[in-house]
Amino acid sequence: MKAGFYPKLAFLGIRKNRLMYFPYILTCAGMITMYYIIVFLQFSDTVTNLRGGVTLQEMLKFGGRVIAIFSCIFLFYTNSFIMRRRRREFGLYNILGMGKGNIGRMLFWEYLIISVISIGAGLVSGIVISKLAELGLINIIKSKLNYNLYISGTAVIRSVTIFGLIFVLLFLNSLRQVKFTSAVMLLKSESTGEKPPKGNWFIGILGAAVLIAAYYLAISIKNPLQALTMFFVAVLLVIAGTYFIMISGSVLFCRILQKKKNYYYKPNHFVSVSQMAYRMKRNGAGLASICILATMVLVIISSTLCMVVGEEDSLNSRYPRECNMSFCFAYQDSISDMRIDSLKKDIEKVTKKQGISCDDVYEYRYIDAAGVLAGDTVDIKPPEKFNAVSSEAVGLIIVNLSDYNRISGVNEVLKDDEALMYTNITKYDYETIGFNNGDTYKIKKQLDRFDMNSSVSMVTAIPYIALVVQDINKASYDSGYNISFDYGFNVDKGGRAKEKMYSRLGDMFKDGGSLRDTYNIVSFYYDDKEEGREAFYSLYGGLFYMGIILSIVFIFATVLIIYYKQISEGYEDCMRFEIMKKVGMTGREIRKNINSQLLLVFFIPLVFAACHLIFAFPVIRELLLMFNINNVPLFVVTALISFAVFGIFYVIVYRITSNAYYNIVSKAKE
Amino acid sequence: MTILEVKGLRKIYSTRSQGNKVEALKNVNFSVEQGEYVAIMGESGSGKTTLLNILAAIDKPTSGEVVLEGRNLSDIKESQMAAFRRKNLGFVFQEFNLLDTFTMEDNIYLPLVLAGKSYKEMNERLMPIANELGIAGLLKKYPYEVSGGQKQRGAVARAMITNPKLILADEPTGALDSKSSDELLRLFGEVNKSGQTILMVTHSVKAASMANRILFIKDGEVYHQIYRGNDTDDILYQKISDTLTMIATGGEKR
Repeated sequence: MKAGFYPKLAFLGIRKNRLMYFPYILTCAGMITMYYIIVFLQFSDTVTNLRGGVTLQEMLKFGGRVIAIFSCIFLFYTNSFIMRRRRREFGLYNILGMGKGNIGRMLFWEYLIISVISIGAGLVSGIVISKLAELGLINIIKSKLNYNLYISGTAVIRSVTIFGLIFVLLFLNSLRQVKFTSAVMLLKSESTGEKPPKGNWFIGILGAAVLIAAYYLAISIKNPLQALTMFFVAVLLVIAGTYFIMISGSVLFCRILQKKKNYYYKPNHFVSVSQMAYRMKRNGAGLASICILATMVLVIISSTLCMVVGEEDSLNSRYPRECNMSFCFAYQDSISDMRIDSLKKDIEKVTKKQGISCDDVYEYRYIDAAGVLAGDTVDIKPPEKFNAVSSEAVGLIIVNLSDYNRISGVNEVLKDDEALMYTNITKYDYETIGFNNGDTYKIKKQLDRFDMNSSVSMVTAIPYIALVVQDINKASYDSGYNISFDYGFNVDKGGRAKEKMYSRLGDMFKDGGSLRDTYNIVSFYYDDKEEGREAFYSLYGGLFYMGIILSIVFIFATVLIIYYKQISEGYEDCMRFEIMKKVGMTGREIRKNINSQLLLVFFIPLVFAACHLIFAFPVIRELLLMFNINNVPLFVVTALISFAVFGIFYVIVYRITSNAYYNIVSKAKE
Repeated sequence: MTILEVKGLRKIYSTRSQGNKVEALKNVNFSVEQGEYVAIMGESGSGKTTLLNILAAIDKPTSGEVVLEGRNLSDIKESQMAAFRRKNLGFVFQEFNLLDTFTMEDNIYLPLVLAGKSYKEMNERLMPIANELGIAGLLKKYPYEVSGGQKQRGAVARAMITNPKLILADEPTGALDSKSSDELLRLFGEVNKSGQTILMVTHSVKAASMANRILFIKDGEVYHQIYRGNDTDDILYQKISDTLTMIATGGEKR
């Protein structure tokens, strides 16, 4: 046999099935591009040298793995689709005298051609786009740019290895399929499975139950730590539920419609409903995948977008002023007015010496503690003596009324035994709150918001109670209390003067500092907003960036699944189209009918995705709280924008792919 | 009463590339009376299928006309054609052409549903037909669950349920085994006895021998026809065989 025979046969095989292979290769190339870019950034010196760049590269590493795993699963899925369509062809070759070994050799060349083309194209576009991606990343995290294009050897090697491996696996899998089926089976495989779908009640109900459980779990999550642990459980349940419902529940739904004779036996419904039952059975899994991918894209984009848009707010709540410092004292009387005034004077001396003037001073004293909430009593304990993740664990902040009134710009009045309360616990119904040290306060009012938690901001991630009392110095001392003073101001000078100021303050208050014992300071630290900003931007911007890249990959996958769905339905519907015509339906009637089905089936995943997003809302809200973002309207807006953009995109894909469908159907007609 | 009249039918296909013209039908004339059972026979390439397509209004003749119950098919607008066919013609195909997405019952209902009939009315019409064709017990099954003969009986029911003026059958026994064929032909005979006009295109001498009249087509023309008269099926069978032999050996016309 001539040497070039198999490559030629393989090439012809690909070309003949280009309707399927072209988008497949395009998607492979797209995924390789994305993977290359991620690995490129992960090892890019430019990124390493960014502030927060190392954290960012950790995230990129994670993102790279996600893409590699996802690509593997997804390419297997689509490959099986292509193989199913090609089995007939292989069967024919087999009958015409090609042994399975020969088919295997042909397959080998096919996979070689496909992998070379897609890895080559993917790398080229990856290299071209990577610089753009780097600029984009730097722009998103608001850092400075440099402009030299280079190729990352590591990224090339990794992309080739990972995707080469995936292609080898795909090849072996196809080989296995060819090997274990006989020629007759290969020939017939496309027409098997013509059984009409019977709705499986068990799976349908199970799907609904699982989905309801997932939703219930999502809305019953009370705090971010819980959200973090339950999130993945909820995600898995939603995925399982969606698959069950799409595969079985939808068929059941069609069956119920068919039982309603007055509805079913109408020209508009008759053909649609019965064909939909078929479509859902065949394509339920595809639809569920589309739905899950759409949900992922929506969740990722809306939440990371929300973070990027809300990062300045988040920064401001974390850093109320440009310079922020926090003192923690050993004794309760360390925060008496007299001592605090003296401390402030010492700080002022330092700032004056550096020629810095302090504006918009922000200060308050507070007690913070942690404990276990039982009914209306908090049992205060040192942190090591209870489980901080348990649902009864609660943080506690007590502040002075005068500080509260000044910072919030209100004028509340309290008696000694009264308190204002704010809590992020869903419900606190008691009229009083007490502590194990004997203190009890009558709750005069529940507050809607409470902003004096800058230095304990991570506290917002766990359930906590904030109390505003007449005088915190009158609270009975408890060994679990931390007694603190937060002090912040804006400065008119940055650079050297500010650095010197920080170092002088450190000299005075840090471990071994000159004034540490004078004020009985247990701990002291300062936070500079400028430094924080860079870290915030690289964290939030980096997450957003990752979100975009992952979304692009998921969108690629979504489009490809949709495309294959339309094509396979096109081939299936050809014959039915023909029969309906013979029985006396006009072309227009058929087209109208098919159009309405396509539309309905097509938008089911989008509707489900929207539903998932709505129920994911409470969880995402809690997770965003961990990033200091507590802006519900903002999240609603970003979610709506993401949904709208995705929806428009989805419609465009629908238009394009349904054209492919009509082409197949109408070609068969002639 | 004449139900179908075919006058001077001519059909020329021209191949797109070379402009070669193929005359599928030269000059076909015949008529079918109400209640007749007519078989059309001819060899492959004799123009049978073209004729049937024109009768079914799927194809248009180059010249000549087809008049169904006083209406010239060429006068019917394209947009009304599907409805016209649905109302006046019933089709039985060699390959059954049942939709696999429907139960037998729903397949039979299809033309009526398209015509907007209520379920009650459809069901009332279905029951006597289903009983007559012996498929009353299979209505809830799907096409893939029943045998070829049963599928074809379902297809006959679908053709009959609109009470068409004419049933056009294209090789209805072509895909059936001999037992199912006999059964189907017996049913056709019964359906015809109850007043239904049937026009059947077939290769099979056995099938043709059940009809009242057999038209033979050769080279795009009606070459010969045989009336049953008082002949039994067996005698008719013999006559058809003789005619076919004569056509095949190139005997003189009439």
